[in-house]
Amino acid sequence: MSETKKKILVVDDDTDDLKMLSMILEPEGYDVVTAENGVEALEQVESEDPDLILLDVMMPELDGFAACDKLKSSPASQGIPVVLLTGVAKQITKTRYPIDGVLRAQAEEYLEKPVEPEELLRVVASFFK
Amino acid sequence: MARTAKANCWDVMTCGRGLASVEPCPAALDATCDGVNGGMNAGRICWTVPGTFCSGEIQGDFLDKQETCLACRFFLQVRHEEGQEFRFVKLAQGVLDVEDLHARITQVESLMGIRDRLRARFNLDAVIAEITRQARVLTRAQRSLVLLLRGNPPSLHGEFRLRGSVMAVDIPCDESSAVGYAAVNNQTVNVKDPYRAPVQQDDVPFNQAFDEACDCRTDSLLAVPVRDSDGRVVGVITAANSAKGWFSQDDQWFMECYAVEVGLAVEKARLMEEAVLAGRMASISESLAGLSHFLKDVAHALVGTSFIIRRAIRQGRMEDVKAAWEILDRHVKRLADLCKDVLTYDPERPDEIAPGNLNATVRDAVSLVQPEARTRAVELTTELGAGLTRWRHSKRGIYRCIVNLVVNAFDACLPGGGHVTVMTERRGDEAVIRVVDDGRGMDEETKARALETFKSGNQVGGSGIGLPTVVEIAERHGGRLEVESTPGRGSTFTVHLAGAGHLDRKY
Repeated sequence: MSETKKKILVVDDDTDDLKMLSMILEPEGYDVVTAENGVEALEQVESEDPDLILLDVMMPELDGFAACDKLKSSPASQGIPVVLLTGVAKQITKTRYPIDGVLRAQAEEYLEKPVEPEELLRVVASFFK
Repeated sequence: MARTAKANCWDVMTCGRGLASVEPCPAALDATCDGVNGGMNAGRICWTVPGTFCSGEIQGDFLDKQETCLACRFFLQVRHEEGQEFRFVKLAQGVLDVEDLHARITQVESLMGIRDRLRARFNLDAVIAEITRQARVLTRAQRSLVLLLRGNPPSLHGEFRLRGSVMAVDIPCDESSAVGYAAVNNQTVNVKDPYRAPVQQDDVPFNQAFDEACDCRTDSLLAVPVRDSDGRVVGVITAANSAKGWFSQDDQWFMECYAVEVGLAVEKARLMEEAVLAGRMASISESLAGLSHFLKDVAHALVGTSFIIRRAIRQGRMEDVKAAWEILDRHVKRLADLCKDVLTYDPERPDEIAPGNLNATVRDAVSLVQPEARTRAVELTTELGAGLTRWRHSKRGIYRCIVNLVVNAFDACLPGGGHVTVMTERRGDEAVIRVVDDGRGMDEETKARALETFKSGNQVGGSGIGLPTVVEIAERHGGRLEVESTPGRGSTFTVHLAGAGHLDRKY
C-alpha cells in the first residue's frame, strides 16, 4: 500500500493552513510534505519528487504564480501537476494566469478560497485516476 | 465756450497756435473738454489731445507723448493749481477725475487679486461665494448670483442667502428670461429698468418670476455667460440693481472678466470633485477587497477544520478533532477580534474615558495575551512607570490598543519566537505606552501600508483594521501613534495619551 501512496507537496505561508490541508489529505491516504514559501517549495520538489503540488498564491518572497512559473519552466518538474489555491480567482483563467500582464506558465487546476474540502479531495483524486 | 482767467497751454508755451491764430492747435479746438481744469476747450488738459503743437513740433497721441507731457512745466503747473480738483484723463464718454481713475485701478487690482485667490481654491461653493461677493462690490450691485447649468432638460441652478436663509433658484435654460437668454445665446445681457420696458434691446425678455419668488424688485440686471475652457456655456453670472441706476460698459467688462475666472474655477472644482470621488471609490473598493480577503482566509480555515472535525468524529480519531479544534478556535478569535475592532473603529460609538490606573489596564491586557505568547515561544514582559495611577483613559480602548499591538508584535516575531516588551512612562503632560519587539521589522512601504485601513502590512495576514483602530483610540485620547522600525531588527509602537487638559470633553 505504501508504495502506491501518492505524495502531495502543500505550499502555504500560513502554518495553520498547512496543518489543516495536511489533516484533510493524510487520512485519505496521501503522503503530505510541506513548504512555507516558494523557494522552499522548489527545494522540496527536488528532494521529495512529489506527484502533485498544492500551491497557495499569496506568499511572501516567491509567490505562487512565480513559483509555478519556475516549476513549469524546469524539465525536472514541468510534468508535476500544480493546483493553485487562491483568493483572487478573477485574475486566473482555468489553466493560465497573468504575470506582469503576460499569460505565463500553466497550472493544471485552480481552487478558489474558501476551498471546500470535498472539492479539494475530488480535484486531487482526479489526477490519480 | 466759457472763457476763463486761467492760463491755457498756448499762453504758457507761447506756441503761437492759440484759438485766435491762423492755424489753431487741436487742443485749442477740442470743445468736448471745454472748462476742464478751468481751461478754454482743451487748453488745460492738452496732454490728452493727439497732434498738439508744442516744443515747436507736432506731437503724437497720449501714449506717444505721455513721457514728455508728464514732465512738462505746464502740466505740472495745472496739476498744482487745480489741486484736489485736477483732472488727468479724458475718455470717449467724457472726462474722469482722479478719484474715478483710482477706483478703476482698484477694480483692476482686485480682479488680479481675486484671480490669484480663486486659482488656489478647489471648493466650488467657496469659489462661487468669493466671486459673487467681489462682483457685488466692484459693480456696486445690490446682489450677485452664479447660476450653473445642470439637469436634463438643463436649467440654471443657483443658491443664495436671503434674509438669513438659503434659497435655491432654478431658471429654465431658454429665452423666457434675461438669464436664460444670456445662456442660450452665449451673450452678455444688460437690462435697464425692466418694469418699464419688459422687452429690451435685441428682444431680451425680462421674467418677473424671480422677483416674485424672492419678494424683491430688479431695476437693473447684468447677466454674463460663464464658459468652460472649450467655450461651452456652463452657467451665468449676474449682478442686479446697480447703485448707479444701471450697469455701465465698464461694469460689463469687469463681469466678463469674472465670468472667465468663474468658468475656470467651476471646471477646476468639478475636476477636483470628480477626482476626490474617484479616489474615495477606489479607497472603498480597496478596503472591501482587503476585508474580503481576510474573510476568505478565515472562511477557508473554518470550512476546512469543520470538515476535519466531522470526519474525525465519524472515524473516532480524537487527536485530529483536538488539533483541528485549535485551528478553528484561532480563526473564530480572529473573526471576533475583527468585530471588536470594527466597533471600536466606529466614530459613532465613542468610548467612555474616566480616571483610572493606566498601569493596571496595561497589566490586565498583557495578561490576556500571555498564554498566546507562550504558545508562540515569545517572551512577553512589562516595564511600568510611575505617576499613572489616576490617568484619564478608556479601559476598553487601551485594552484593544495593547492587544492589537502585542499580537502584531507576536506576528512580527514568527517563526522562531522572540521578545516583546510593553512599557509605560509618564512624560510631562502625557502618558506613553510602548510596545517593543525584536522581530522582523518593516521597511518604509510596509510601515505606511500598516497604518492604512484594511491594508494589512502584516505578512501573516491581519484584517488590516488593527493599527488604524489603535490610531483612532490614541486620537480619541488627544494623542497619537508613532511607529519606528528597522528591517531585521524589530519595531517600536508608541501610543501617546494626552493629559486630562487636552481631552475633548465630549469624549
